[in-house]
Amino acid sequence: MADAVEDAGSVSEPMDLVRLLLDEVVCVKLRGDRELKGRLHAYDSHCNLVLGEVEETIYVVDDEDTEEDDLKTISRKSEMLFVRGDSVVLISPFTRS
Amino acid sequence: MENGATSQSEGKDPSGFLSEIIGNPVTVKLNSGVVYKGELQSVDGYMNIALEKTEEFINGVKRRSYGDAFVRGNNVMYISAD
Amino acid sequence: MASQLLPLELIDKCVGSRIWVVMKGDKEFAGTLVGFDDYVNMVLEDVTEFDYSGNHTKLKKILLNGNNICMLIPGGEGPIAASA
Repeated sequence: MADAVEDAGSVSEPMDLVRLLLDEVVCVKLRGDRELKGRLHAYDSHCNLVLGEVEETIYVVDDEDTEEDDLKTISRKSEMLFVRGDSVVLISPFTRS
Repeated sequence: MENGATSQSEGKDPSGFLSEIIGNPVTVKLNSGVVYKGELQSVDGYMNIALEKTEEFINGVKRRSYGDAFVRGNNVMYISAD
Repeated sequence: MASQLLPLELIDKCVGSRIWVVMKGDKEFAGTLVGFDDYVNMVLEDVTEFDYSGNHTKLKKILLNGNNICMLIPGGEGPIAASA
């Protein structure tokens, strides 16, 4: 158990990566072409998340114009939200991209 | 089903394969068709995956890069050694 | 009853042989079965991935998530060989 302190910065299992992201600004991809950017306040083993200062982006496929590049997005902000783990696809540290 | 699936030799079953490819470049394909390529940091029993130097491909087109990425296992279709 | 073969025993007999895997969705895989676990996650070698659109992709070695597997066909070489 002493190793837990020693290895606090290492990733020996995938959830450790999420632990390292606590209190950082993260990018979360969700099912249904949604993305969240916000500060990771809490998580659990199901990947249930609590995010603060969140910006949500929804990518809408426009069926009428079949131009593939014509991706519409809807954005909205919330102060704090809970994400149910089963909709999570990917979690990564936020980088401007 | 006693011992039905326990007779494989070491290093050939899923966990053996995974320990063999930790640290190597891999391709992870999700059920949605999205592909992530990166260095495999770790995998757990849910097939949750931690990747390093990750690139995201949608319809074969590179869309994004992530330094680190955690992929939730229920979305994973396969992990391929590159 | 003595001759009953459990499903996982059948798969165990396929280790080292070619196998055709049909997924729940539109996808299929053919490859050499290297190993599998109780969830029927499987390690496959020299794999061809078949798309619904008729595309196929070659992969050297993969771990296939057992969650979305629908059907396994021992000795199968995939949809193209089967319809030829």
